[in-house]
Amino acid sequence: MRHIPRAIRRLFCLIVSLGVLAGCGVAGLPGDSGRETVGQPTLPALTLPGDDWGYPSPFAFYARGPGYVRMSLLFDTLTWKDAEGLIPWLADDWTTSEDGTVWTFKLHPDVTWHDGNRLTAKDVAFTYTYFKAQRSLVTWSWPLDRIDTAEAVDEETVRITLTEPVAGAHDVLFGSLPILPQHIWEGIDDPLKALGEEVVIGSGPFTLAEYSKEEERYVYMAHPGYFKGGPRVSSLVFIKVENEALALKSGTTDYAAFSGKAIEAAKQFADDPEFEIIEGPGYWVLQLIFNTSRPPFDDVVLRRAVAHAIDRRRIVTQVTLDGAVVAELGVLSPETDWHHPDLPTYDHNPDEARRLLSQATEAAKLLPLTLIATAEYAREAELIQADLAEIGFPITVQVGDTGTLDGLLREGNFDVAINGHGGLANPAILESPTWPAMVYQNEVYRLIYEAQAQLSDDDARRPLVWQLQEMIASDLPVLTLWHPKMWTVYRSAKLDTWFYTPEGVGFGIPLAMNKLSFID
Amino acid sequence: MSYRIAQYLFIIIVLLTLNFFLPRMMPGDPISYLVGDPGADAPLLMTEEMRQNLLRYYELDRPLGEQFQRYLSNLLRGELGWSISQNAPVAQVILGRLRWSLLLGGCAAAIYVPLGIVLGAVAAWHSTTPAGPAILGSVFFLGSWPSYFLGMLFIVFLSLKLGLFPIGGATSTLSARSGVLWSLVDVIHHGALPCATLVLGNLPGIVLLVHNSTMGLLGHDFVRAAKAKGLRQRRVLIKHVLPNAMLPLVTMIAMRLGFLVAGSVTVEVVFAYPGMGALITTAGIARDYPLLQGIFLIIMLLIVGFNLLADLLYTRLDPRVRATL
Repeated sequence: MRHIPRAIRRLFCLIVSLGVLAGCGVAGLPGDSGRETVGQPTLPALTLPGDDWGYPSPFAFYARGPGYVRMSLLFDTLTWKDAEGLIPWLADDWTTSEDGTVWTFKLHPDVTWHDGNRLTAKDVAFTYTYFKAQRSLVTWSWPLDRIDTAEAVDEETVRITLTEPVAGAHDVLFGSLPILPQHIWEGIDDPLKALGEEVVIGSGPFTLAEYSKEEERYVYMAHPGYFKGGPRVSSLVFIKVENEALALKSGTTDYAAFSGKAIEAAKQFADDPEFEIIEGPGYWVLQLIFNTSRPPFDDVVLRRAVAHAIDRRRIVTQVTLDGAVVAELGVLSPETDWHHPDLPTYDHNPDEARRLLSQATEAAKLLPLTLIATAEYAREAELIQADLAEIGFPITVQVGDTGTLDGLLREGNFDVAINGHGGLANPAILESPTWPAMVYQNEVYRLIYEAQAQLSDDDARRPLVWQLQEMIASDLPVLTLWHPKMWTVYRSAKLDTWFYTPEGVGFGIPLAMNKLSFID
Repeated sequence: MSYRIAQYLFIIIVLLTLNFFLPRMMPGDPISYLVGDPGADAPLLMTEEMRQNLLRYYELDRPLGEQFQRYLSNLLRGELGWSISQNAPVAQVILGRLRWSLLLGGCAAAIYVPLGIVLGAVAAWHSTTPAGPAILGSVFFLGSWPSYFLGMLFIVFLSLKLGLFPIGGATSTLSARSGVLWSLVDVIHHGALPCATLVLGNLPGIVLLVHNSTMGLLGHDFVRAAKAKGLRQRRVLIKHVLPNAMLPLVTMIAMRLGFLVAGSVTVEVVFAYPGMGALITTAGIARDYPLLQGIFLIIMLLIVGFNLLADLLYTRLDPRVRATL
């Protein structure tokens, strides 16, 4: 060693020191919460796969379905949904004024927060007032601007007044807005940056024992005093895994969710008695978005020609391996009550496509046109390119990352794009069929949308929602491609109460991750 | 040397400016990502009012020049800002990940650098016997597997079949570990496979460099003179050959250490290891300007720092270089 130059020895020492220092750092430091967990040996502990979806406070979770689900394990809402549909939750009962603007809820007695304080009507009134005041920081789709006032009538009765009726209010507001403990939140001015242990104190069936942002891990412990029943599991641990199927097979996790193209991964569990599989609706769509705000796709005849040229069935078979169904042209999932059953289908018909193309505006000859997509949907883009070439309408394909695609769509700087999104269980998604691009402008469509959004009577609302779907199918601002199927595979010996919630958890989240699965 | 340091300072200023402006020139912005990326399962519509509120909240509504000025003044105070996509202080987000990247990359380097030097020198010294080609062949056979594939092989055989290691992550949950010693064992247990993958991936480069560099020196007069003095082979190799073979190696090591935090992306993904690699991807997709700036700052400082270190080491290793500085 003494023959090796001192400089080299120092470099080596530096490398080793870096490693050792980092090692001591990571080994000696507690997790983010710093709290130890206490197990309940009589009940199974579940380990589930997952990523970081933000700190699960009602303001800090990432505005995505899994983020909401993690928050919903800690916080309750006035109503909720079981396998059949709407059920009372924190509210035992409620009444609505004739015009649908005044809602009076009778709360379940003796509900307590995780810290032992009692949940009262004052907390509910505070929650609605607080959310309304902080709505500029809220990125989840609660219609907070429709809240007028919220007041506690007595300890267990709260009256919430809306500025105007909200369609599906049970779902989009009362069934999804988490109730906050007033004694904790009333002193918080910036709820987005409140990331302490106190802001995850809720009334839900679990308490948060550990959260690690960098390791993308959550540890929830069952809350034994939960007012809706005892826990079926002692703890829920969400961990980051690279391959959900591998993690489930190896016993690392007890649950895995697959959708669409991942059908083969789900199939491998089909004959294994250790696992059960349930299939559910995806409430998600992959679609071709036309830039209707500029030539040549401002011409509906051209859009219809493209619709007839593309063999959507072939895409479903060859790309998703039948892990999806050909999408409904009205966007809404065929598995919701809102779906219009008799929409045009624009079957694959190259001759008809050519005929329509010949009638299309001269602008259709503007070349080159570009189809943009992310790498995930490059195969769909290739098949569409081939179908369009067959009718004499060549396009080029450009693949970019999701940020680039998102930026181009929002700027309206594209010809045609492939993009997917969820939320198909709720007609609210119809507000902008070309989301996230805001390129479809149709005044009649907008008026119908706004009219249905104020109807709290579902039967009165349905014809308008159908009309919106008819307009999308006829006008084709988007050509929907496929709706994925979803599968949840679980180790039944650990827990066998998983189910898909009709029209999604919260509103429209297509995961079999309803907190009801975890309580008796 | 002062000229060289001034050169590095100039590079840092240029890079800081690029760090700030380049992410802002890409299509998309961090506010749009907050309410749903393409493919979101619960897309949310953002009104113009909502957008303006959020831009104001994150101070992105100010003129670009003012934002840049604020960025530099915050930087001088040691503040890296607030990550929009991660909803946490940038410094906290980066440090949380950086420690794992340093641990993984540092431990791997502490193994593959000395091992590579020894194997490369021995292979060169024994190049005329079967031992030399055998060492080179073995190292290249193991190192020629793509990291992703090698990692998957480790997981399938050592984790799933034999159950010796966890399939991913960096630690067990808090309830599953107690005490610093057990935590250390837990960290080593989780880090062993990703570390081994990194070692095998990086070893051939070092071995080849040392081998070629050593081979080039073996015929030189000073080596023949050392041998003629009757010195033992090992002494000739360690005292006379290796120090001279180190110059290109120092450059290579310095460059690799510079990429310590960003060079293990594949391995981190396969083993779901919480390093910087995945964070860079996320920050890029989310167009999280403060986080991107923070990450690039760290990478830049490491690369510039290690290059400076290499320059300094050169002066110690080679008097000819010292004369030119």
